[in-house]
Amino acid sequence: MPLKLLKFGLSGKYAEPRMFRTPEKMRDTYDLVIIGAGGHGLAAAYHLAKDYGMTNIAVLDKGYIGGGNTGRNTAIVRSNYLTPEGVEFYKESVRLFSQLSTELDLNLFYTERGHFTLAHSDASLRTMRWRAEVNKHLDVNSEVIGPREISKLCPYMDLSCGGHAPVVGALWHPPGSIIRHDAVAWGYAREACRRGVEIFQKTAVTGIDIVDGQVTGVQTSRGPIKARRVLSAVAGYTPRITKMVGIRTPIVIQPLQACVTEPLKPWLDQIVVSASLHIYVSQSSRGELVMGASLDPYELHSERSTLDFVEGLVDHLLDLFPFLGNVKVNRQWAGMSDMTPDYSPIMGTTPIKGFYLDTGWGTWGFKATAVCGTTMAYTVAQDDDHHLIRPFNLSRFGDYTLVGEKGAASVGH
Amino acid sequence: MKIMTCPINGPRPVQEFVYGGEYRPMPDEPAASDAQWADYIFNRSGEPGLSREWWYHAPSGTWFIAERDNVKDVVLKTYLFDRANPPRAGKGATP
Amino acid sequence: MSESKRLPPQFGEWIDRGSPVRFTFEGAACEGFAGDTVSSALHAGGALMLGRSFKYHRPRGVHSLANHDVNAMFEDGTDTNIRADVTAVRDGAEYRAVNTVGGLANDRLRIMDAFSRFLPVGFYYKTFHRPMSLFPFWERQLRSAAGLGKIDGNHKRNRTPKRYDWCDVLVIGAGPSGLSAAIAAARAGASVVCVDENARPGGTLSYAYGSEPAAQGRLDELLKAAASLPNLSIRCNTLAAGYYADHWVALVDGGKMTKMRTRAVVFAQGAAEQPSVFRHNDLPGVMLASGAQRLLRRYSVRPFESPLVVTANADGYRAALDFASIGIHVAGIVDLRPDGEPSDLDERVKAAHITIHHGQAVYEAVPRDGLVGIKAAVVCPLDKQGELDTDDGLTIACDGIAMSVGWAGADGLLYQAGGRMKYSDEFEQFVPETMPAGVFAAGRVNGVFALDQKLIDGERAGLSAAKYLGLSSPSTLPEARRGPRSTHPYPIFYHPKGKAFIDLDEDVQLKDLVNAETEGFDNIELLKRYTTFGMGPSQGKIANANTVRVLARLRKQSVGETGVPTSRPFWHPVRMDALAGRGFHPHRHTPMHSFHESHGAVFMLAGDWQRPAYYARPGRSREECITTEVEAVRHQVGMIDVGTLGKIEISGPDAGAFLERIYTGRFTNLKVGSTRYALMCDESGVVIDDGVVARLGEDRFYATTTTSAAASVYREMQRYAIVWGMNLTLVNATGLYGGMNLAGPFARRVLQPLTDIDASETAFPYMGMREGTLADVPARFLRVGFVGELGYEVHVPANCAKHAWDALVSAGGAFGIRPFGVEAQRVLRLEKGHAIVSQDTDGLTNPFEAGMEWAIKDDKPFFIGQRSLRIIKKRPIARRLVAFSLGAGYHGNMPKECHLVIDHGKIIGRVTSIAISPTLHEPIGLAFMPAEKAAVGTPFSIRIDDGEMVAARVVKAPFYDPHAARQKM
Repeated sequence: MPLKLLKFGLSGKYAEPRMFRTPEKMRDTYDLVIIGAGGHGLAAAYHLAKDYGMTNIAVLDKGYIGGGNTGRNTAIVRSNYLTPEGVEFYKESVRLFSQLSTELDLNLFYTERGHFTLAHSDASLRTMRWRAEVNKHLDVNSEVIGPREISKLCPYMDLSCGGHAPVVGALWHPPGSIIRHDAVAWGYAREACRRGVEIFQKTAVTGIDIVDGQVTGVQTSRGPIKARRVLSAVAGYTPRITKMVGIRTPIVIQPLQACVTEPLKPWLDQIVVSASLHIYVSQSSRGELVMGASLDPYELHSERSTLDFVEGLVDHLLDLFPFLGNVKVNRQWAGMSDMTPDYSPIMGTTPIKGFYLDTGWGTWGFKATAVCGTTMAYTVAQDDDHHLIRPFNLSRFGDYTLVGEKGAASVGH
Repeated sequence: MKIMTCPINGPRPVQEFVYGGEYRPMPDEPAASDAQWADYIFNRSGEPGLSREWWYHAPSGTWFIAERDNVKDVVLKTYLFDRANPPRAGKGATP
Repeated sequence: MSESKRLPPQFGEWIDRGSPVRFTFEGAACEGFAGDTVSSALHAGGALMLGRSFKYHRPRGVHSLANHDVNAMFEDGTDTNIRADVTAVRDGAEYRAVNTVGGLANDRLRIMDAFSRFLPVGFYYKTFHRPMSLFPFWERQLRSAAGLGKIDGNHKRNRTPKRYDWCDVLVIGAGPSGLSAAIAAARAGASVVCVDENARPGGTLSYAYGSEPAAQGRLDELLKAAASLPNLSIRCNTLAAGYYADHWVALVDGGKMTKMRTRAVVFAQGAAEQPSVFRHNDLPGVMLASGAQRLLRRYSVRPFESPLVVTANADGYRAALDFASIGIHVAGIVDLRPDGEPSDLDERVKAAHITIHHGQAVYEAVPRDGLVGIKAAVVCPLDKQGELDTDDGLTIACDGIAMSVGWAGADGLLYQAGGRMKYSDEFEQFVPETMPAGVFAAGRVNGVFALDQKLIDGERAGLSAAKYLGLSSPSTLPEARRGPRSTHPYPIFYHPKGKAFIDLDEDVQLKDLVNAETEGFDNIELLKRYTTFGMGPSQGKIANANTVRVLARLRKQSVGETGVPTSRPFWHPVRMDALAGRGFHPHRHTPMHSFHESHGAVFMLAGDWQRPAYYARPGRSREECITTEVEAVRHQVGMIDVGTLGKIEISGPDAGAFLERIYTGRFTNLKVGSTRYALMCDESGVVIDDGVVARLGEDRFYATTTTSAAASVYREMQRYAIVWGMNLTLVNATGLYGGMNLAGPFARRVLQPLTDIDASETAFPYMGMREGTLADVPARFLRVGFVGELGYEVHVPANCAKHAWDALVSAGGAFGIRPFGVEAQRVLRLEKGHAIVSQDTDGLTNPFEAGMEWAIKDDKPFFIGQRSLRIIKKRPIARRLVAFSLGAGYHGNMPKECHLVIDHGKIIGRVTSIAISPTLHEPIGLAFMPAEKAAVGTPFSIRIDDGEMVAARVVKAPFYDPHAARQKM
């Protein structure tokens, strides 16, 4: 038994300090206001405080810490993207995630499971090879494997897929991991608070003041704040914020649903994704199968669940794992995804001086949390886009220089 | 499964329909600057509210306009597109 | 096992004593009756301990008998995570508890309980990660300790059809208020379905009112009234699992799902009894009073021998009377209320010689050895602040504690339906505040607890639903009184030694909540995520209410301000095979499918279509078969089924102008009887589809699309026709016509004898189109050249297509005709240097990059993508699709499609197509290259699988027959 648990047990009294402070009052002025106390906003706050000594920061959230998509995703971390821009970016994220438990001194349950993206057709196998080649080139461990190797790694999978869409191969990405998503937000929040950042939960932003194209303050449900820099990291709420500053973006909000089964003893080590079947599944450390599918097909600003989603998802899951018929689905939920036309994020500086965007996360934002922390911190501190995120600037839509990630991002959580 | 009312075929399950995106009139092509054109191509009125959007009833091949509260997911009305009297562009106020 | 706890036959019992059931539990022989649940049968046989808890492996027994007893989860060799408390016992079954090591009694993990002090809330977040290199070891330990049942890899999927159903009013819950609502709505003329998750209707009438003379016969009256209404059906064993938009309710019975569309819903699911929190409140023998009464009244099983009743409402008194009525000695009633029970139940209990302790509460239960039950309870007085005076404890011997201190409305679906609830301080529960249209609530979920009032409330809800539907217009509706208050505001008592459980699913203790709040998890959702309360299989149905009270007190705020965790489907977990149904995966077959099958076709999916990839031949490899097919086309004649292509007829005065707006090319000047290549971009200038447009007449055109884009191209054409207000008609003829492409030097000789058209080069030149007959069926002929030989694409009505195909095959026999598949076609077109949209282009490719500039006629006033292409054209084109060759002498490892072009360690391009040309005998392909390296003759390197670099050179396309002479033969 680790020493720390012995200490807990024998101390007689619970000795853990408070993880987050809840300041009574907001200051009049902050150097930076971060909108959104999810993983992205908190990671940026942490890195600004730690790497740039910027601590006069308020993080505002209309809900609670990690209550948005940080706590609604399926907690997968991977870097097997398609474009070199995407791969470089997520590679750095995986590197940071793999060290994050130590960095934040909180066990985030980061566990390498390996990640399959199944191909059921020649066309998708081609895309897998494309991804594998780009990945390998950038030192990301991915390879295309055949059905025999899939079976060896995951013997339970029915590769005939019920006979209707046989698996012809897969992109195999050994570094694919799962992590305890909520704890990521808590860890960043704790370490940011420890360095002086102030987090205000249940505090809604109602307006952003701009004078001559420069941010000057933020209106909140608790009153106004003066600030010359604002970072918006609100995923599904982005259009509401960009409307406040008068910026138009391609972001469209669509729900992404997920569900979870009752806990089972461990049997599935890997993360399994099939874009053709529109499913992804992994087994959490608690033993639940965590499952998702593709986006809901139309714009909606709601976290409601639908029956169609879970029916379709489970039907396809049973094609791959027919013996799960008697396992029960326990709970459904949904998050609001901020979609872009090229399936790449929108990050960095904007036409408004002092207003920074961290959005366009679609269905894959959680796995970027760590790298968004470092790159957005740099961008805000230097008022200049970090080189890893330069391709993702909002201006690419005016320039017709999109970063096509659709082949790797759709249903590829 | 939600119900959507096709102006021709009446109420039908939403799975029979294809979402066609926000209704966006094309800007006057020769007059639009490159920037205005790129704005039309890529940007959307993504905020919550009453949204006027295209829907397609696939079995019958009917395109129509739906006015939908995209927060509550309630379809307020549906009607056929009329060139002489086109829908207003952009998001309406929350109903 | 000890002696039987089964009572002699009781009025209203659910068991069939004529049908004994034999089974084993943990290897020991057991028996019960049909109608028993597994738990009731086991408890009747004297088995107190039914399972081990999730984290500490503490013994657990019957608790609610209402689908919340998730510590009594079994597996039987086939099924897993069986809820023993509500699952009918099966004859011959071999049950075992899940999540033990070495069996239930001697579970080796029971040692976890002794270590509990070392495993505080969230312990796993704070340790095991230093050093990180050891964490994978710890993670494996933690993972195998977590989880409940084991999967059975041989379990067969149960493909079960789903049912679709509809009604005017769906009543959920067949207790007194639900039945009353259903009857009222049905009497008003509504078609009503009333569902209940229990095996029989009755709700509280089936267990709670055994001691109430006024309640006797009430259920029979209600059921008789219901039976007389043909428009009312009652479905038991039917779970309303989730509520979805527009009154779409998932009903699950057994392994089947019914999707119910209703016009109005009445939620009458009652309430879930909530436990009191004290030390050892989780052990076998400590039950919810309602659980004990269910054992007693439904299954005729003695829950205990000498129980203590801890209560704060009338229900506890009724339970005590129930126990006494069958000769159980009640060790006393501990009433948390200082003034006790106001109703006449107080007198009746005293008359039964039961001692009542007013203003007291249970501080702790005293466990028996091994924690497999209790032997006493320590009872302490409560002061005015609700704090226990623990110095003044009284130990009362008992073998069980029946808890009846409060209820929480079973309001999960009501929340999902959009009902807004507010906390009533008067009744200490959440009650409906506002309801969406067509949603009603009745009975305890509405805060109505007295039996007569529940019946009135049900009637009110039923009539309201009928009124909403316009079926009746009563001038006044009956009105029920809420109450009596049946819930104590804080039946939660801290013990310094812990083991006071809040959530039995997850083994969350009271002190865990306190510690988590101290750490900053002071919001109900954060608290849930950190402590995992409410995240177990029962979803907090008997944990959330107490947790909210604890947090409210810690935060010094009201329960209403504290709020409850969001309710989400499902109400109880649902089996995946019920959700999946029979698994319906439609594939489309062309009319020639039977031919393909009988000729060895290996199929591939193209959208929903199954297309022959190639035709396998015995003893030949895939590559050999494909090569043979290619050679047949090049040297004799071949035929491919192209019926999957999208086919659209465009007719009307504006048809030509319309196509010029849709496609990049010109079509108004296309001659009748001619065809032209057609390229389609989206508004941003990205290539999305291509095909051929033929002019059938002055105002009639016929366009083909790629297989996968058929539906979307037709759909978008329809939209643009409306938006542009153009005068034309569109017909999606994709399924109307079958299609075949007859290609090769002998194509004309095969075709001519079978057709009435003149197929000669002069009469019907390349890129021409003719209408005529083929083997006596009407046909359209298109002279196209995708594969680079003399070719006729023939479209015939789908029902004649097989006939036409067979005729060509038979006529072609003399010329060595061979059917060819998609793979051979890919090679053939590659030899011609033709790009395939979506293989040789990606989601961002514009026509300039794809080398399709020639297909753009920019002198038109408008086409989709034109304006964007003009913007794109102002900038240098970054990449170009080029043809390349590895050289005739290349015999090394072959690059594959999507291998990368590497230059000085940088990715500069990508192979999009590659094949060894059977015609040229060299590896040829298409690749994206930087524009500055796209010139013919430029050498470049492709990196293949093992990292080897293969030299290639940009060459001029097409590789084969550059002047297209063979197409124009």
